[in-house]
Amino acid sequence: MIEITGLKKSFGDNKVLKNINLKIEAGSVVSILGPSGSGKTTLLRCINFLERADEGNFQFGDQKINLKHVSKKEILSVRRKSGFVFQNYALFPHMTVLQNVMEGLVTVRKIPKAEACKKAEDTIKWVGLADRKDYYPSQLSGGQQQRVGIARAVALNPEVILFDEPTSALDPELVGETLDVIKKVAQTGITMIIVTHEMAFAERISDKVVFMDGGVVVEEGSPRDIFVNPKEERTQKFLSRFIQKDMYYI
Amino acid sequence: MGDYFSIERFLKLIPKIVPQLSVTFAIVIVSMVIGTLLALVVATLEIKKIPVLQQFLKVYVSYMRGTPLLVQMMVVYYGLPLLMQTIFKIDVNSWSPIVFVDIAFILNEGAFLGEIFRGAILSIPIEQTEAGYSIGMTGIQTFVRIILPQIIRSIIPAYGVDLIGVFHNTSLVFTIGGILDIMGKAKVLGTATGHTLDGYVVAALIYVLISLVLKIIFYRIDKKLVFERR
Ligand SMILES: Nc1ncnc2c1ncn2[C@@H]1O[C@H](COP(=O)(O)OP(=O)(O)OP(=O)(O)O)[C@@H](O)[C@H]1O
Ligand SMILES: [Mg+2]
Repeated sequence: MIEITGLKKSFGDNKVLKNINLKIEAGSVVSILGPSGSGKTTLLRCINFLERADEGNFQFGDQKINLKHVSKKEILSVRRKSGFVFQNYALFPHMTVLQNVMEGLVTVRKIPKAEACKKAEDTIKWVGLADRKDYYPSQLSGGQQQRVGIARAVALNPEVILFDEPTSALDPELVGETLDVIKKVAQTGITMIIVTHEMAFAERISDKVVFMDGGVVVEEGSPRDIFVNPKEERTQKFLSRFIQKDMYYI
Repeated sequence: MGDYFSIERFLKLIPKIVPQLSVTFAIVIVSMVIGTLLALVVATLEIKKIPVLQQFLKVYVSYMRGTPLLVQMMVVYYGLPLLMQTIFKIDVNSWSPIVFVDIAFILNEGAFLGEIFRGAILSIPIEQTEAGYSIGMTGIQTFVRIILPQIIRSIIPAYGVDLIGVFHNTSLVFTIGGILDIMGKAKVLGTATGHTLDGYVVAALIYVLISLVLKIIFYRIDKKLVFERR
């Protein structure tokens, strides 16, 4: 459904993404792993045009985009088919939970208020926050805020949701509830791209795992390929740091 | 001369001075409304850091903030006609003194409010804009729905303080062309009757009362809009 070819991105002299090729099947869950600074966030942001790639081609469904000459209209159309879950939630602080989730439905989708409210309430309930719908973000725990962030994306029925380390700003005891909701999203069949350091979770949830290092995709494959039989030395080295900590029970 | 102040004269002066509040208010309203618009432009341009213009704005802001308003008023009152005459060949000597006062106040507010707005805009994290984009909003939708409400909420206390400051500053305008705001009226009546203090006490009371009311209003609005406290 999504195909990226020859994507390059530099910040000044710093070549952050060197030549990314990536194919994401409709309905699949793809995890992106890699050491800090390898370009994972930048790649995700390029997909949603929060960052502009320097060159490359991007296909989203039937839509083909030359990343070098992308128009505002194309950007908007991609964003309206995709959702983004931020590491630091980025909820709208002046809106309640309900208003946060309704905002896209009303302002972007132009759905009538009553209908949007219903849809938002259903989604909020679905992430387990029915009793918090009238709270402001500042009145919620990190885990609850991130679930609102997920609800805000899911309510818009996007074709793909991009997650950038959705649990890494959370206290350890709040990670579980958030991962549970992400798993629930995966079960609905929405295509997902997740940047994460939660190896055990990535192993369980993913259809495909991508390992990045130094701005390139070093290796990709099924969770089994990557976690059990990694071919590349860099992948093996990276994973060996996590194996004991996270994976001993697999 | 032992008779500086009498309650009787004081009470008689109140109905003579209070109507002049309309003059005071007109200056406050004009300078706040147009000053706010100017300040939005100033703040936006400052944030964009456009070369040359950026330096010009720096000079403008530091002049407005670094010189007394009274001086700025004099410069506009005596300088503007000269400027208009030499550059545009327009004779503005017939303009009402109020116009010059308004212009001086607007320019002053453009700088003071501009700095308040700039700080407020910069205090909103970039992720807020990105979150707006991520749910498919256009730049304008994001500004109107996400950024502007947060700016408004964060500037309310400072805006209230500024408004009260402008209200107080109008006490300077009588020095130009004999404008009869409450202060001007108090002075004129004092000179005419020879009892100077009475009128100024009336003026002082009006300033205190209205400042208090404005303070309460802004406090209420601020309380009402807070969304970050439990
Ligand atoms: N806005 C920016 N301006 C300049 N350099 C940037 C910017 N964003 C990222 N970089 C640089 O790009 C490189 C990749 O950053 P990126 O955030 O994509 O890494 P990451 O893989 O997500 O790392 P982490 O696991 O720490 O989140 C880093 O060297 C970073 O310093
Ligand atoms: Mg990152």
